[in-house]
Amino acid sequence: MKRKIIAFVMLVVMAVSMLSGCGSAAKEEKKAESTVNESSAKTSNGEEVKKDDPITIKFWNGFTGPDGDQLVELVNRFNSENKYGITVDMDITASLDEELSSAFAAGEGPTLLLSSSAYRFTYGQYMQNISDIFDKTNLNKDDFIQSYIDYCSEDGNLYLVPFQIVSFYLYWNKDLFSAAGLDPEKGPATWDEYLEFAKKISDPSKNVYGSGLCYGYNYQMAHVIQRFGGLAVTKDGGSWKANLEGNSGYADFVNTYKKLVDDGDNPLTDDTDSMMTAGQLGMTINGPWLTGGMDTAGINYGITTIPTGAAGSMNSCEVLGFSITTAASDAEKLAAYRFIEWWNTTDANGNCAALEWSLTNGYPAYLKSLMDTDAYKGNAKVMSMTNTDTSAPSDFIVDASFPGINGIINDVLPQFIQPVLFDNADAAASLANVQKIADDITAQYN
Amino acid sequence: MDSKTTRKDNMFIRICRYFRSAEGSAYYFILPSILLLLIFNVIPLFVSSSMSFFDANMTLDKVNYVGIDNFVKAFSDSRFLNSLKVTFIFTAIEVPVQVFGAMIIAALIAKNNITNKFFRAIYFLPVICSATSIGIMWKMILHSNVGFLTYALSSMGLGRINFFNNTHLTIFVVTFISIWRSFGISAIVYVTAIQNVNASLYEAAKMDGAGNLRQFINVTVPSIRPTFWYILMTRLAGSLQIFDIVFMTTGGGPNYTTESTVSYVYSRAFSSEASMGYASTMSMILFVIIMTVTVLLYRRMNAEER
Repeated sequence: MKRKIIAFVMLVVMAVSMLSGCGSAAKEEKKAESTVNESSAKTSNGEEVKKDDPITIKFWNGFTGPDGDQLVELVNRFNSENKYGITVDMDITASLDEELSSAFAAGEGPTLLLSSSAYRFTYGQYMQNISDIFDKTNLNKDDFIQSYIDYCSEDGNLYLVPFQIVSFYLYWNKDLFSAAGLDPEKGPATWDEYLEFAKKISDPSKNVYGSGLCYGYNYQMAHVIQRFGGLAVTKDGGSWKANLEGNSGYADFVNTYKKLVDDGDNPLTDDTDSMMTAGQLGMTINGPWLTGGMDTAGINYGITTIPTGAAGSMNSCEVLGFSITTAASDAEKLAAYRFIEWWNTTDANGNCAALEWSLTNGYPAYLKSLMDTDAYKGNAKVMSMTNTDTSAPSDFIVDASFPGINGIINDVLPQFIQPVLFDNADAAASLANVQKIADDITAQYN
Repeated sequence: MDSKTTRKDNMFIRICRYFRSAEGSAYYFILPSILLLLIFNVIPLFVSSSMSFFDANMTLDKVNYVGIDNFVKAFSDSRFLNSLKVTFIFTAIEVPVQVFGAMIIAALIAKNNITNKFFRAIYFLPVICSATSIGIMWKMILHSNVGFLTYALSSMGLGRINFFNNTHLTIFVVTFISIWRSFGISAIVYVTAIQNVNASLYEAAKMDGAGNLRQFINVTVPSIRPTFWYILMTRLAGSLQIFDIVFMTTGGGPNYTTESTVSYVYSRAFSSEASMGYASTMSMILFVIIMTVTVLLYRRMNAEER
């Protein structure tokens, strides 16, 4: 009998351990912890502060790449430097969505979340309004580029504080430019120049194409098409309106793209990254992550902002930011504010986490004061990615507060572009067709 | 104490006694498997089938009952219907090649000699590779511009074949990769079945003057019929659920010509929208199709055995 009981207990333990293992196997976790035990201290500005009770806040994000190591380092620095007794307990996970959805469903979650601002469309009801951060900290709202603050706001309420600006840029191969008799130091400033350069660079005998537009890369398509025809969804009289049918800019884009393919100046492919890193593309449009592959492959390249089209000056981007969840208490919220303040404040030695992050990882700054620093100005890579027109709108393909952006990017644009490209469908008819799909999407939010 | 209570007590004692017996204690050992099966198969199946009648988002905090609306929507959704068509085309090519092709190859490598063992290992190698690495490998080999095979064919004067971006060709390329990936498992199962065929049957056939082909048709094939049905059923169910290879190679393109039903379900649930209800509905439709086909085949198999 005793043996059977022991066997039964062991089986239960085995079953429980198997189940618990399922949840942790795929999880990549990096922890950053330290504790400060001083009773009073000074801020970076030298101001004497009364130390709060020690507090630990949970900070979740999905930075599992090499940039995650830098994030760990910076969080550790905050934990050891801050004089408030705050410990940021960071969890970097590859399955942020799964963890968030189960935590929120159970009434739990982190204090601080680092994510795309689009997360507010999925987890909006779990994000706190943090508009008072500028009152409760020394952060200067005017120092932030207004369009990024707008991107993270809804109905005048701020839900995220910008952390990283992710946009797409035009990359050109300087060696192919030289071979085609073009100035290798100057990328195209207009779409007319883009087409002209593409024609000159293309060389079928060497399998070289001047242009690297890619129908399978929905985000690239979205960044480019926006330059031709503006936003796909805007607010009209208080309701969302899709602007597909009759959009001559969008029709112009797809016809231009098709002509580039038909003329042999652009490959018909769903993967242009490999070709760019193989030195077979004169120009392409992509995010900053492309530079890693090109650096490794030894490509001599230049970077510039995507040429402005008929839709005028714009700064299409996604803004990643810090948000505070409803799981946070008031004390935890204040602690998170202080972490965000520290991240965006330049200390007496000229160190600023936001600046370090921007320069190390190659993302343009969102603080005007950082753009004026010598370190920023001296970094050619981030300077070439910086849109100096800080008044340009930052919406990406749809109005920044439209929750159905994924449907527009992943459903509407491919179903508009690919029939024209592959089946020679008429651009106007294809636009009329996808207008119905876009109307269905907007109807969900009207 | 009335007689009802006594009967209940007796029942309880009998159950306890059964679970203490050698036969009953076996259930303790399969308890972990039963728990896992319940948690990861049975409960999700019931939840999914229930969810198909709701409009639900990913966090399940907005759940509205919509009746059969999701089913009506699915059968008027051109992308869903297209995905069914793609899935059926894929299945119609993959299953016969797997079932009959693997049988022929298995017959050729059934004898236990070093050469055959080497080929069995070669055929089985892709089975143990992940779909991710297989997808990346074939993308590199067949890339329209920088692919090894594309370049080799071009060098031979055969032109530059755009394997992954041709609305007529790409479905066959994806099917080929899928067959290449899982062909080994079918072949090895057949080899095992062929090796278990009674040798005296072959000897009798030889004495009757049957050649290798006649032996294969008249002895091997009838003897391995249960294996044939098993492979037919499993490959059919597997092909109708094709996802990973599509996801890794084409993402459903070009122009949705390789978008399978499961790929489309995935996009509704995770990529574009978080429509868990609608995604569950389409999953249920696919489930019913697979179950119907499997039950029909199972009945046919049982009828033959009788």
